[in-house]
Order: sequence, then structure tokens, then C-alpha cells
Amino acid sequence: MSTTASPCGTFDATILDRRELAANVVLIGFDAPALVAVTRPGQYVMAVPPSGEVASTALGIYEAQGTRGSLLFFVVGKRTTELAGLRPGDGLSLTGPLGNGFDLSSNPRDVAIVAGGVGIASVLLPAQALLAAGARVRLFYGARNRELLVERERFEREGCEVILATDDGSAGHRGYITQALERAEPPELILACGPTPMLRAVASVAETLGVRAQLSLEETFACGVGGCWGCVVPLIGTSAQAPNFPPLERGGSDVVYARICKEGPVFWAHELRW
Amino acid sequence: MVSASGLHDIDLTTKIGSLTLAYPTLMGSGCYGSGEEFAPFVDLAKIGAVVLKSVTRHPRLGNPTPRLVHTPAGMLNAIGLQNPGIEWYLEHDVAKFAGRPCTIVGSVAGFSVDDYAYVCELLGQRSEIAAIELNISCPNVASEGETFACDPRLTGKVVRAAREVTDKTLIVKLSPNVTDIASIAREAQSAGADALAVINTVRGMAIDVETWRPRLGNVTGGLSGPAIRPIAVLAVYEVARAVTIPIIGQGGIETTSDALEFFLAGASAVSIGTANFTDPRVPVRIVEELRAYLAQRNLRSLSSIVGRANVGFANAQQYEGDEG
Repeated sequence: MSTTASPCGTFDATILDRRELAANVVLIGFDAPALVAVTRPGQYVMAVPPSGEVASTALGIYEAQGTRGSLLFFVVGKRTTELAGLRPGDGLSLTGPLGNGFDLSSNPRDVAIVAGGVGIASVLLPAQALLAAGARVRLFYGARNRELLVERERFEREGCEVILATDDGSAGHRGYITQALERAEPPELILACGPTPMLRAVASVAETLGVRAQLSLEETFACGVGGCWGCVVPLIGTSAQAPNFPPLERGGSDVVYARICKEGPVFWAHELRW
Repeated sequence: MVSASGLHDIDLTTKIGSLTLAYPTLMGSGCYGSGEEFAPFVDLAKIGAVVLKSVTRHPRLGNPTPRLVHTPAGMLNAIGLQNPGIEWYLEHDVAKFAGRPCTIVGSVAGFSVDDYAYVCELLGQRSEIAAIELNISCPNVASEGETFACDPRLTGKVVRAAREVTDKTLIVKLSPNVTDIASIAREAQSAGADALAVINTVRGMAIDVETWRPRLGNVTGGLSGPAIRPIAVLAVYEVARAVTIPIIGQGGIETTSDALEFFLAGASAVSIGTANFTDPRVPVRIVEELRAYLAQRNLRSLSSIVGRANVGFANAQQYEGDEG
């Protein structure tokens, strides 16, 4: 994964536009030139809900073009309810861009992107980057039902081959999207973002197929910048992403907890011990 | 009225043992990494000190996940003192603290008096570390972590042991999870503490009603954030009446008004933790607004307001009688 720190900061963004993509699924566009200019695929921001009465929340950066960025999120609690209430012209404090993002440096020619539910929010930027580099990109996109498969046409327009799955069969395969991935022609590389059970399934399919996979993990964050060690995942100590920790022969361990917010959120599936 | 141009004449320097901090704002241990994590978001030269994450004698993997739960007006955490152990820390981490633009305070945790003495002696030899905070009050480790801060006799023992091995300024971090914090504060002072950090997190837990399981991997955790502020203000108020050494007030400080409550209760400095997670600019904003607050009142120094609200207790006679 890329370890180069990007020039991040805390920015006062202005909301430009707001769309409801489905019931309780919101896309808000914002103006934050300095933030957008340095955003890499797979990075996220910590957004401070306007009341200041609840903690900030981590959201994947959906779009980043020119001076406009956007956030796509499901309204699931107090924090996202407050953010969903933002209207054009409102201010929003954003800290970022944070995290390592996806590593596309191997210049892969055939990539499967697996997105589950709101995980779609973190995969448009890598899809665009790969397509721009001439790669074949298949989007394996799963959700509970057809209505929640938001922005699927957008990915088609961008040039992705889109394979769908829903729990209720209202669009695409009935069942899990990872079942569709398992049956498909193996890609050269897998990128995935979505709920943890889906990511575990992606890791398993990737292993079966003998394909390397990068997983963008989610966890409850507190600081989002690596200061509190609250959001961790067990990682092999030999990983390039492993935090500073003594090896087994020095009284340490061959598996260590890495911070999802700092060393991640993207990890190689085969390096996780979760 | 002090003119706007006179704002910088206002004295915010704070003495903590042999330390002189340019600003009365410390960043709470375990909340701020080693400081560098926040450097992109805040000018570290404008904060008083960073208190580093605690280090122990042996490496610690930390607690299983989940380690965090958001709760009303705060959060629960149970990190479990994840750290590489003092030996590795001295080899790989400490040298990096040398160039930091603010004062660096080390933090030491342990499971025995020997552990504390061992780690304090080694850490105390390093010039990169300006002072040592004794974390005798971590609520998130299996057994002994918090025991030291819950028993005046053990507090005395561990502080004396640390005092014997280092001349560095010693700050002792107290637990709110006790019956009488004043008696523990007095014991820490008489054992040689230079200052007290009041308070660590308040023990708590949350349960998932779908799975019928505790929501933290460690089952219990430490509550921080504005939810605990009144508990912390009272603890500072009580401790200020019991000791003469400086107090670093902490617990849910988010605004200048919050910080002022602690100064008025008797704290000489404040420590900010959870608020940095919402807005890393909070500590710098508090310093700027403190200047304005003092200027408006024609006050030239922060020290002139320390403890000014500390008027004892409504039933002081009875309270003091109980003490005797």
C-alpha cells in the first residue's frame, strides 16, 4: 500500500448540492479545493456534524473532481442524520483526506471491484483511475434490494461492467455478491469495500481464486488520525503496514493490531489475521 | 480594558514542577498518539504539551476489538495499553520526540511497583522527555492497572518508587473511580508527586441488545467526553482543597468555558482528549479565547483565577468534621 503521507488538514467546506439517491441514502457535494486536489482513491474524511454535539464520523470520499468533492452515505444514526440535514450553502468541517487508499501502482489490467451497500462510496475514484489507465473494471455490487443499489448507472456510464446482486432478488443475482464473484472469470486484482462479513467472504474467494485482494475496512473511529488506537485489526507483523512493534523474538508478536484509520483503511486480505 | 494589542502581554505560562509550559493546555495521554498524528491539523507550537501514550515494561498487544463505543455526550474506550514495551520504545520511538515544537511528557503504566520504577528510571534518563506522567489509573487492563490509584497506600508506594529513580517532574494521574479522591491526592503529594492529573476516565459499559453481549471486546471501558465533565470538575475542586501541588484538570473539556470551570475549581492547567477527535483546533482556540477572557476582566495572568471559585462546601463544617 502507499505509505506516502498526503497533505491533509481540516477544511471548512461549503455544501454545493444534495440529492437523495434512495430512502435514507444521501449524496452531498461540497466545495473544498485544497482537499479535493490531494484526494487519492480510497481515502476518507472525518466530518463534523453541524450541531457539534456528537462525535465526527468517517465517510469515504465518493467524487473528487476540480474543486468539488462529494460524500455518499446511509442515514443510520444521529451523526448521519445531522449530516443529511445539510443544505446547499451550509458549512461543513472536514478533516482529511485520511488513510492510505487503494494501491493501484501495479498498473493492473483487469480488476474486480466489490462493493456492498454503502461501500459503493469508496470505489468510484479507484474505478475512474483504473479506467483512465485503460484497465478492464468489473463492479460487483450487492445490496439488500434494488432501490439500495444506488449509482449503478453511474458506474456503467464511467465504463465499468456492472454485476449486481440483491438479498431479495429484485435486481441481479439473488444472494451475495461474493457468490457472483466466485463464479466469474478471475480478475488480476480485487478491490473491495463494504460490510465486514462481505469483506471476509471476499478474502476467502480471493484465496480460492489465487487473486490478491485489497480490502477497505470499516470500524468505529474516534480520532480518525491514528492518535487513539481505537480502530484496529490484527495484521501479520511482516506486513509493510504493520505498526512499530517488537517481533516475537524480542518479546513481541508476529501478529499486531494495526490502526484501520492510519495504517489502513485498505489492507491486503492475505495479511490480515482477523 | 486591555487593548487588543495587549492580548499577548497576558501571561498564560504555567509551572508544573520544574516544567514551564508556554500554554496551559496538555493533550491527554492515549488521545493524541505521539503528537505527530495531529501535526497536519494543528500547530503543535501553540499547545502546551503532549502527554504520550503510556508505555509499560513489556510489550502489550492491547485489547481485542471492538475498542470503542460512542455513547451519549461521550465515548467508551478500552484500548488496553497497546505499546511496544520500554526497551523497544527507547530504541525506536523516543529519539523521534526530540524535534517536536511542544513539550513532550512521557507516560508510564505498570502492573507492579517494580514495573513503574523500572520504566521510570529508563525513561527518566532521556532528554527528549521533559516530564513523566504516572498512569496509575488505567481502567482497561485485566487486573492491577487501576488498583494503584484506588488505594492511598499503593499510590504512595508507586509514587515513592518513581520519585527515587528520577528527578524529572512527576505527574500522577488519578482515577475518579474511588470513594475519596482527596485522600489519594494527599498521599501522592507526600510521596513526592510534583503535580496531579485529575481525572482519568470513568468506568462504564454498554450492552448490545440484539446480541445480548457487552459492546466492548474488553467488556468494560473508560468513559470520556462531556458526559464526565461535572464529575471531573468536582474531583479537581476536592483535590485542590487537599494538596498544594499543581493540578492538571481534565475530563470532557471542549470549550474555553469548560476549561475555565477547571481553572476556577483549582486547576493550573487543563488537558484535552476526546474533544480533539471532533476538532483538532480546540486547544488553540481555547488559548486564544482565554486571553480574550482575561483581557476583558483586566487580568494579566491565568494564575490569578486558579481556584477562585473554590469556596469549600455548603456544609463545610460538617464536611471538615468528617475529615477529622
